[in-house]
Amino acid sequence: MAEHLLTVDGLAKRFRRGDSTVAAAEAISFHIDAAETLALAGPSGSGKSTVARLLLRLIEPDAGSVTFEGENWLALEGAPLRTHRAKMQMVFQDPLAAFNPRATVARVLDDPLRIHRIAPRAERPRRIAGLLERVGLSTDLAGRAVHEVSGGQRQRVAIARAIATKPSLIVLDEAVSALDVSVRGKILELLADLQRTDGIAYLFISHDLGLVRVFAHRVAILDGGRLAEQGDARAVIDAPQSAVGKALVAATPKLHGFTGQDAS
Amino acid sequence: MRGRFLQTPEAMAGTAILVLLATMALAAPLIFPGDPLRIAGPALVPPFQDWTLPLGTDRLGRDVLAELFHGARTSLVVGLAAAAASLAVGAVIGTLAGFAGGLADEALMRLTDAFQTVPGFLLALAFVSIVGPSLSVVVMAIALSAWTGPARIARAEVLSIRERDFVAGARVVGMHPLEIAFREVLPNALPPVLALSSIIVAQAILIEAALSFLGLGDPNRVTWGGMVAEGRTVLRTAPFLSIVPGIALVVTVLGVYLAGEGAVESAAVKKGLS
Ligand SMILES: Nc1ncnc2c1ncn2[C@@H]1O[C@H](COP(=O)(O)OP(=O)(O)OP(=O)(O)O)[C@@H](O)[C@H]1O
Ligand SMILES: [Mg+2]
Repeated sequence: MAEHLLTVDGLAKRFRRGDSTVAAAEAISFHIDAAETLALAGPSGSGKSTVARLLLRLIEPDAGSVTFEGENWLALEGAPLRTHRAKMQMVFQDPLAAFNPRATVARVLDDPLRIHRIAPRAERPRRIAGLLERVGLSTDLAGRAVHEVSGGQRQRVAIARAIATKPSLIVLDEAVSALDVSVRGKILELLADLQRTDGIAYLFISHDLGLVRVFAHRVAILDGGRLAEQGDARAVIDAPQSAVGKALVAATPKLHGFTGQDAS
Repeated sequence: MRGRFLQTPEAMAGTAILVLLATMALAAPLIFPGDPLRIAGPALVPPFQDWTLPLGTDRLGRDVLAELFHGARTSLVVGLAAAAASLAVGAVIGTLAGFAGGLADEALMRLTDAFQTVPGFLLALAFVSIVGPSLSVVVMAIALSAWTGPARIARAEVLSIRERDFVAGARVVGMHPLEIAFREVLPNALPPVLALSSIIVAQAILIEAALSFLGLGDPNRVTWGGMVAEGRTVLRTAPFLSIVPGIALVVTVLGVYLAGEGAVESAAVKKGLS
């Protein structure tokens, strides 16, 4: 069996709520290959963000294993973990909350370049300009405060920050949900383009099956912290087997596509 | 912003007092050059008698107005330095406690409790009596108790800020926890901490005056508290010697307080508008 980029096996996380605990994630197993998009879909509260936060080591699992780029990802701690973080990045749903309210666009992009010693100080402004151009933004934006640019621009900055360290996997937690439809299409095109040129894999979290169907290669559907089913995105969405899959498809008013692009 | 800040009459009065005080402090060496503690005329000249000595002289013949001006320097320096030190120490300790959580938080907060339960003035008194009176020791003595308020507020603020996405974002980028704490979290936790500054400055000025009154101020500097104590020995014959610096203290503390309230209020208005 060929090695996957990311292999998740039996991941579990319980949260305390009052006196009892809730299983936000239970026996989660999936894999992602290089340059592949796996969508994680499911109703609200089904544990999608929990899985994302577990993968990014923002919270620690109760059980399970994660192998990323051939390494035991959960065994990494401290400085080695911080170094390895370069390879797995994340884009958050709310681009306003995801940035320090005092930061400028340039500072946001400078951080990863500085921390991972990607470019010496003198060269960083040029790199920052390059990143801005790569995500389709004007280099004039560098000096602006993050809260002064539009939501769509801000999400592009978030993507620029995520690709600054040349990651092999980016977790997109509802990264386009807060954007209006036309902006969303453009951002998805950018993401698809980055995947083609740089071979980046995505864990694409969304509750919008219409989007998932056109953007993802495969889909895993979560329900109450458990995987209900997973498989080829179109196959699963066109003929869901699980109850939650059927309900989600039924709840999607019209399976719409985003302008032109297809993941296949 | 400035216009709105000066809109309330209280804030206006407070600011006027502070401006006057700062002018006095800055102008003291120009208007009254030389040592304000030297003999300037006959002893116990009452105010408004001799126009070269407008506020008269004290028991030893020292110029009261000159002392008042130079005393403003001491009060302001001590007030500002003690507040700056308390805010800095409090913000750092509060941030560390709130951000680290767990045992470190527990230990730091017990330490804060310990310092908070001892009355600030007693702590300052003990510290100065042990280390010896000098301006920097007085500043440290005051900061020793005043940092606990800023520490608590900073911690509470950090506890909510550290759950926000941008902190998670900083971790994902691989930032060192100390850098996250002090560069990402602390600056965002500062506004409510800074709102304490006026109270701390006012308290510091009063504690300094009280220490000086007890003879524990810097002996080489004129202080209003020292002047009140000096005047006490001739309280019946020359009450103005205690009353003048006493009024200066009250007006200063009032000014600091009013200006501080005005600043906090206008910040709140600004926040509400945005
Ligand atoms: N820090 C936490 N403490 C306690 N419970 C939590 C915590 N984070 C998540 N949960 C619970 O875990 C479950 C899964 O939450 P999660 O945020 O992963 O869902 P989600 O699929 O991302 O939902 P949404 O689509 O609304 O974002 C929910 O029941 C939630 O209330
Ligand atoms: Mg979520």
